[in-house]
Amino acid sequence: MARDGRPLQLFRNLNAKIAAIPMIFTAVVIFAGGTIWTVVYSFTDSKLLPRLRWVGLDQYDRLWNTSRWIISIENLMIYGVFSLVFSLVIGFVLAALLDQKIRFENTFRTIFLYPFALSFIVTGLVWQWILNPDFGVQSVIRDLGWESFTFDPLYTADIVIYGILIAGLWQGTGLIMCLMLAGLRGIDEDVWKAARVDGIPIWKTYLFIIIPMMRPVFITTLVLIASGIVRVYDLVVAQTSGGPGIASEVPAKYVYDKMFLGQNLAQGFAGSTMMLLTVLIVLIPWAYLEFGGKRRV
Amino acid sequence: MARAVTKQRKTINTIAAWAVGLLIFFPILWTILTSFKTEAQAISDPPVFLFFDWTLENYGVVQERSDYMRFLWNSVIIAGGSTLLGIIVAVPAAWSMAFVPSKRTKDILLWMLSTKMLPAVGVLYPIYLIFISLGLLDTRIGLVVVMMLINLPIIVWMLYTYFREIPGEILEAARMDGASLKNEILYVLTPMAVPGIASTILLNFILAWNEAFWTLNLTAAKAAPLTAFIASYSSPEGLFYAKLSAASTMAIAPILILGWFSQKQLVRGLTFGAVK
Repeated sequence: MARDGRPLQLFRNLNAKIAAIPMIFTAVVIFAGGTIWTVVYSFTDSKLLPRLRWVGLDQYDRLWNTSRWIISIENLMIYGVFSLVFSLVIGFVLAALLDQKIRFENTFRTIFLYPFALSFIVTGLVWQWILNPDFGVQSVIRDLGWESFTFDPLYTADIVIYGILIAGLWQGTGLIMCLMLAGLRGIDEDVWKAARVDGIPIWKTYLFIIIPMMRPVFITTLVLIASGIVRVYDLVVAQTSGGPGIASEVPAKYVYDKMFLGQNLAQGFAGSTMMLLTVLIVLIPWAYLEFGGKRRV
Repeated sequence: MARAVTKQRKTINTIAAWAVGLLIFFPILWTILTSFKTEAQAISDPPVFLFFDWTLENYGVVQERSDYMRFLWNSVIIAGGSTLLGIIVAVPAAWSMAFVPSKRTKDILLWMLSTKMLPAVGVLYPIYLIFISLGLLDTRIGLVVVMMLINLPIIVWMLYTYFREIPGEILEAARMDGASLKNEILYVLTPMAVPGIASTILLNFILAWNEAFWTLNLTAAKAAPLTAFIASYSSPEGLFYAKLSAASTMAIAPILILGWFSQKQLVRGLTFGAVK
């Protein structure tokens, strides 16, 4: 870079380091410190208050023998996989369909982004209502004449997580679509012309030329979707409180309940350590591929 | 785009686009409409859309039950304060990453962003303990700090992407003319980055405004913001959908209005600068 290699290099780097310190300090102290603390105490038998009496892996043993935890993990996996796939597919297809000048475009985009600008709590309440069998979608369609129509996800244990998924998708897909749309707009018109001249079918152009070119956009959306999956707690609390029974429990809620309601701190810490581990297993290989291989500044 | 689109096709696409938009907007619209209905009309079968007796009664009941203005004020302080504090901390950091990059800049950025992926419950208890020992529980200042911390990675990341678009030569020139570092950031960089900073502020304000996990856990009666206000209505204490809708509408109205009047910043901000 042109700016490098000047005599003031050392000083300027010093300035830069000082400027970055508050940010790095807060991130490290709070997140790393807090997380390590939690991991350490997960090996103790802390109940109401944290104390350092070691019990080894007992808490983890108990955790994996609790059916509520197993259900939580299953739910998170279902939610995670489907929300990833559907957000990307729906977001991209909508963006591809709408990839052209639309009247009042900013307004249009604002509307698509509105759900994302709402709190998960509000989203959960609104969808709790729309999915209510007595006056939501089910009753409207039955009124239209389809008497046997059944769509009752929030009160059916087997499919309740999909009810939550619908609300989650509603909240997030507009944002994904706007990001994809921006990505599509950024692609040079000549690429399309060249593909057309070569007689490549449209779907092939999308699949093999456009999507690979939109790699940075896909990475941004992946990061956003992933952080949304981790935050599904709010949505579950607002929509079902984990019900019916324990059918829509998620790990964060398990941890929270153990810590603040069950007076079993270490059990909660063990749960959150497992969550952390899961995130790391997914994140580290990807981060290495994405950032580690080519260190270009 | 200009992929040999006929005029007819364009009209169809525009209609389709707005149809999807309407579908997405419908739940919000329905909530707002329901807040003006009576309880009986709110759950009437078949549903009434526009032709009902508009009433403001629900708003009165909600206001009487819980003081809306107090929650609103807490939300404004918490979201506004944490955003301001975050920007103050993030601008120097983003400056150093964008204009004095080192080998580690990419790594730092990645590590910083990865904290957004960590499950928040993992740090909830330590922060809870810190709050108790510092007497910050259920205070606005405590929440301002926490909100600033959890959104800081996003702020730095966004500012970094905006700053990188500014040619470094301009800062160089300012330095040549003898501007100190403080003046360089304050009077040269910041004014040029105003659109980016505005989008960042808006995004962060919305994120902090909506944050429920931390606010529900770290506040009680005194410092509770609007997310707590709306959550208090989710338990069915004899309150029904019309009142719930009124409470929801009151909680989301500030954001919807703010977003409407700053559409450009909203779109830029919420898409993390992807839309220019």
